[in-house]
Amino acid sequence: MIGLPANRLFCLLLLSLFIPAVVCGAPVTRTLSTAEPGAGEVFDISLSIDGIDLGGVVETLPAGYAFTGTEHPDDRVTVRGQSIGFAVMNDTAITYSVTAPASGSGDITGTWEDFLGESDGQVAPSHVAVDGIETAAESAGEKPAAQEAASPVAALAAVAALFIAGWGGRR
Amino acid sequence: MKPWPFLALLLLLAVPASAADGIPGDADGDEVLTSGEYASAALAYLAVTYMGGAGELDRTDIQDAAWVYARWDGKPREVTDSSGQTVTLYRPLRRIVTFSGESLETLRSLGFDMDRVVAVDKYSHEKNTFFPECREKANVGSIWSPDMEKVLSVRPDAVFLYATISTAACDDIQRRLEASSPGIRVFRFDCFKPATYVDEIHTIASIVDETERGEEFASFYGSTMAQIQDGTTEIPDDERTRIYFEYWFDYTTVAASAGYNEKTELAGGKNPFAIGTAEYPVVDPEAIIVADPQVVVKLAGQGLTVGGYAGHDPEALDAIRSALVERPGWSRITAVKDGRVHVIHSDILGGAQHFIGTAYLAKWFYPDRFADLDPHTVHQRYLTEFQGIDFDLASEGTFVYP
Repeated sequence: MIGLPANRLFCLLLLSLFIPAVVCGAPVTRTLSTAEPGAGEVFDISLSIDGIDLGGVVETLPAGYAFTGTEHPDDRVTVRGQSIGFAVMNDTAITYSVTAPASGSGDITGTWEDFLGESDGQVAPSHVAVDGIETAAESAGEKPAAQEAASPVAALAAVAALFIAGWGGRR
Repeated sequence: MKPWPFLALLLLLAVPASAADGIPGDADGDEVLTSGEYASAALAYLAVTYMGGAGELDRTDIQDAAWVYARWDGKPREVTDSSGQTVTLYRPLRRIVTFSGESLETLRSLGFDMDRVVAVDKYSHEKNTFFPECREKANVGSIWSPDMEKVLSVRPDAVFLYATISTAACDDIQRRLEASSPGIRVFRFDCFKPATYVDEIHTIASIVDETERGEEFASFYGSTMAQIQDGTTEIPDDERTRIYFEYWFDYTTVAASAGYNEKTELAGGKNPFAIGTAEYPVVDPEAIIVADPQVVVKLAGQGLTVGGYAGHDPEALDAIRSALVERPGWSRITAVKDGRVHVIHSDILGGAQHFIGTAYLAKWFYPDRFADLDPHTVHQRYLTEFQGIDFDLASEGTFVYP
């Protein structure tokens, strides 16, 4: 076996611990048509759903951002303030539209539940800012602590480990 | 404390939310949860839980509604148990109490989530080796001495009782449950009788929604029993092996009405003492010698506490066998002369595992016909694949000797 320096092995171990946590995420993931919409622009938010036959997703928009509509059946959507609830019935994707305010930034947060699987969790927050300009006003929704902590830490740890592994290998 | 507030408190405790009639979310109460009703219920739940809305549906309600909608086609499930009563379920069972170790064992064979069994009978509670998960569960006593207060305190949505044995005691428990807590479903099953076990497997699988697993387990059980029956059905009556089956107690045998006799006959044995009305008649020692059995089987177990799952103790079973063959006059018995005296533990003959014990009997009665039947392998597969317990028959327990 070709010998590896101990620090490189340690970093590979670190990677093996963190990469699955980053890759194998929640069953609901969110993508935005743009994270920097123009003032008053309508943009799309897509939720990709994997493995939830019967469940629900609740999305919460930052203050000033307004739910505009969705192609999800009307009788499976409910809106209350900044929150939009979707009943998931064998859906693999839900897309909805949001109108951006004149200015403002914040996080779109979400929660999912799998009623049959009897599990629940958070959808990783997505940051939006009109024209990319950060404002003092924060998200109307709360950041889920676990997601907030896990994703950046995992990503940072992965980058650091790669860096150290490469550096260690050149020594 | 005055009795009536105490009873009222008990009643409140006894009726869990899940026991109420009706499918959660069935808005019009027509006993069909339509797609629209389910979706409305899901949205109402999301609104209450995450969006500051008001309503009554909680997490268990919506999970149960999802279950009924997805797995029961939105309709209640009707089940007819072994006592002939039809029971309607509006939700999946979440909190079960079993007064029958055989039903408990069958639930485990079916892959039922044992966390949903919230209390068990005292005998299952004591079987730490076979039911290790029951150690921490509530103990509701026995069918003859039930702790009804304990039963109600664990807020069951279903209670399992026997169907055809100890019927008076079981009827009394059922009456008391129905009087105090009509929401609790009562199911009656035996789970130890070869004639009805396959049907009971399917019915219980239907109750707990493990029909696929039920098919698999019924097939495993049925294949062993079919092999035994196929090997014995064509044996003429006058060629059947003459046996003496002795119960736990000396010179006590089994008559036609006893369950052990049914298994003995299934295995092709001919019991000359299968007469009379008593289940376990005492026989004259001289009559055994006169009957001259070709095979003798002695039962160990509850009334003769050695072996079984509780301990690896072949010496104890050997001692039982030695005591038999040394009985006065027994040296003249064919079974003794031919070395065909066996000891079997009731753990594998009396309850849900009767197919394993019956396989041993068949092999002892007809070693040539059943050369390919391997009860030991069947037993180990049952424990590993269906019971899911870590129990190695090579080094643990003693069930037969030799």
